[in-house]
Amino acid sequence: MSRVRPCLRLALALAFALASARGSMASLAETDASDPRAQDHVDAAALYDAGTEALARGDLGPAVTFLLAAYRIDPRARDIRTNLGIARARVEAAEGSGDHGMPPAPPPFALSPAESWHLAAALALAGALVAWMAAARPRARRLLLAGSALFAAGMVFSGALLLRAREEAVHPSAVVVAPVLEVGPAPDERPLPPYLLGAGDEVRLGPSRGDLVQVRVGGNTIGWAKGSGLWRVVDAPRYTRNSGAR
Amino acid sequence: MTGRRIASATFLVSALLALATLLALPRAGACGTSPGGKLSIDATLDVNTVAPGATATLTVQVRSAGLNLPDVTLPPLTVERVGPSKSVEHTPALVERAGTSQSFSMVNNAVERSSTTVYRILPRGEGTIHIPPIRITVGRETAQTSPLTLTVSRTAVFPGPGPGSAVTGPAKTPTGRPEVFVQGAVDRAHVFWNQQILLHLKLYSRVDILGDVDWKPPATAGFWTEGLGPPRRGRVQVRGATYEVMEIPSALFPTKTGKLTIGAAQVRVRVARVVEPPDPWSMLAMPEIVPQDLALTSDPVTVTVDPLPPGAPRGFQGAVGDFRLTVHVDSLTVRAGDPVTVRATIQGTGNIATVRDPEIRGRGVTRQYVVGSSTKVDRSGDQLKGERETDIALIADQPGTLTILPVSFVWFDPEAGRYRLQRSDSVRVTVLPAAGAPAQAGRPGSGYAEAAPRAKPGPFGTLRPDPPPSAVALLGLSAIAYASALAVGGARRKKLRDPRVARLEALEGLLVRDLSRAESLAMRNEAGRAAAIAERALLLGTGIRYDVELSGAAKSERAELLRVRGAEGAEVSALESLHDSLGAIAYAPPETRVSDARHAIRAVRERLERYRRELSL
Repeated sequence: MSRVRPCLRLALALAFALASARGSMASLAETDASDPRAQDHVDAAALYDAGTEALARGDLGPAVTFLLAAYRIDPRARDIRTNLGIARARVEAAEGSGDHGMPPAPPPFALSPAESWHLAAALALAGALVAWMAAARPRARRLLLAGSALFAAGMVFSGALLLRAREEAVHPSAVVVAPVLEVGPAPDERPLPPYLLGAGDEVRLGPSRGDLVQVRVGGNTIGWAKGSGLWRVVDAPRYTRNSGAR
Repeated sequence: MTGRRIASATFLVSALLALATLLALPRAGACGTSPGGKLSIDATLDVNTVAPGATATLTVQVRSAGLNLPDVTLPPLTVERVGPSKSVEHTPALVERAGTSQSFSMVNNAVERSSTTVYRILPRGEGTIHIPPIRITVGRETAQTSPLTLTVSRTAVFPGPGPGSAVTGPAKTPTGRPEVFVQGAVDRAHVFWNQQILLHLKLYSRVDILGDVDWKPPATAGFWTEGLGPPRRGRVQVRGATYEVMEIPSALFPTKTGKLTIGAAQVRVRVARVVEPPDPWSMLAMPEIVPQDLALTSDPVTVTVDPLPPGAPRGFQGAVGDFRLTVHVDSLTVRAGDPVTVRATIQGTGNIATVRDPEIRGRGVTRQYVVGSSTKVDRSGDQLKGERETDIALIADQPGTLTILPVSFVWFDPEAGRYRLQRSDSVRVTVLPAAGAPAQAGRPGSGYAEAAPRAKPGPFGTLRPDPPPSAVALLGLSAIAYASALAVGGARRKKLRDPRVARLEALEGLLVRDLSRAESLAMRNEAGRAAAIAERALLLGTGIRYDVELSGAAKSERAELLRVRGAEGAEVSALESLHDSLGAIAYAPPETRVSDARHAIRAVRERLERYRRELSL
């Protein structure tokens, strides 16, 4: 019984964490409830086409946004990775920080969020099955250790994914679409020189105040900017040509 | 004749001096003469009323017509305290003997000696100090003074420094001519919010100051405070007296409105106090220099702060003072992609550190960056001045014209009582094509072909990294399965720790593994090996049943061990018989070996199964 209690606690904690993660996601999704494409069935090809078109006309902010969104769904697609790398290279060059060389394409062995979640679940399930095999044999300690390691790997992986999902829910990824976005202190804060972000810069967003939204880079808040100059990646489908929401 | 004239002159001078002393000093005095007229004593106080902490001087002058001059002893003082208690204390003040001088004169062969003794009286609190009669005796001649009183009151005017007076104590109010005092003053008592106020903390001194002065600045809650450099020194005339002045100036900027108070500054200073000889005509008396520590405080200052008037122009960000804006552009012609640096400088008088940078924008600008900003504060003058510079780089990637829009700055001028706006002209910068390359040549990523759009839709997915329901279900199932596996495995291991269960498991293993293998060998005509395995299983099973180790034991020893462990004689005999039959199988005729082996193995199985039943009961 003393061994059963920690296991029950672990299972309850996991279930609670997953439920809360889904709850926070659901609260975020309420803002886009009117757009069915913002839910589960987003077409990666439509996003990729929109990003490629924006890239061709030199509209770097939307190009990065659409291609980032397409990359989330289909991360191993060569065309998406290539065009996203080119878009990022042009953003860096526009800001004077690029070396005009090989564009930094994303790695080809990435997993989409859904794939990552299923991999974590598969690891945990394999661990559980091996643990059952060990339970059937009286003195199979090594088997039990192997099953526990597999199960722990799956749980740690799912925990990391959970943290990533929570970070995205609290501080969603966004891309600057305005040519120049001024990020300064809030009106009631000590005056400081503003930061200037260019189109295509990838940031994260914080809370909003009226038409201002908090901008974070590298985990740090750098100031407040007008929300109209930023697109959230999860909202990318709303700005595609077929959505009519733009 | 000559000696007589000198004696007459000396007498005349002494008489004039005594007259002058009587005119100058006797604000409070008492004198007494002996009945014979040869001895007299005179006691005078320089003041009737003194403030607590200030010093009164008691001068006692004794004259004796003869060679003997008595010592003067000051009797104990008493004080009558003010207030409801009206208590009497016998140590009301600190009394110090400052010095004594003596003189000698001879007139018409008559010798007269006199002495003057000076006491300093430092009262410890308010009240009336009573100085009892001072009595002297020479032979049969006795003289005494009348009693004196000294009133100690806070309402007393601080005594002015007279000849020979000691350095006074704390002096907040420069009434009269104190020797040391500190004063805090502001240049204006009615200001606007964030308007500059100059606070002058000054230490006035007419005596030498030893060592450094310990300043404790006043509390300035509600003000932004900026120092104005190191202490400044000078010399001023105050009510006819020359003072050395040490000043610490500060600039204050109110951050609140209403009545604000600048607290009292505290100064600790050590001065060199010069105690003059009591008799200025004495040639032997030398001035005495005594160091004295003083703690001085200034009076608090109240300032009324008005809010800024309404109607501030657009762009006003709180600057108050007297400012000027200048804008400088480093070049009017640039290549595409090269920066144009615009410098906006705000300089003037006021709290320059809090002035916000003016907004610099351009038309036709691809991007812009803050190159840097700096603030220089000038504290050397009588007011806080400074300048703030901001450099912005504007970059145009396309040839054409880059227009720097007018830069404006708004501030409030407190002297004029109105807002002021200064705006620069717009500046047009010509942007030439980039040097030696067409526009697309340097386009990043141009060496890599962009992938073509897709013809078919898909794949479909979600943009949010939250867990899909199937993964959640799988994770939950895995957690439950893992937890139950741990529980089942734990229970199983716990059960195996029971010796009876462990013996049953061992018996089960013999039945399932060893005997099954023996039967299999017997079926393959390997009766000898089958019999050997069955005999070993029987030996182990019997040992498990009776919980004894039988391996390696001889036949007689085995039988004895089994009997000791409770086996009956018939059981022991049957076991030995079965062992014998198994051992004999190897020597049986080949045609009977297999049947004998099967028979013996069956008998072993039946016996081991019986043992298992007996153990499980």
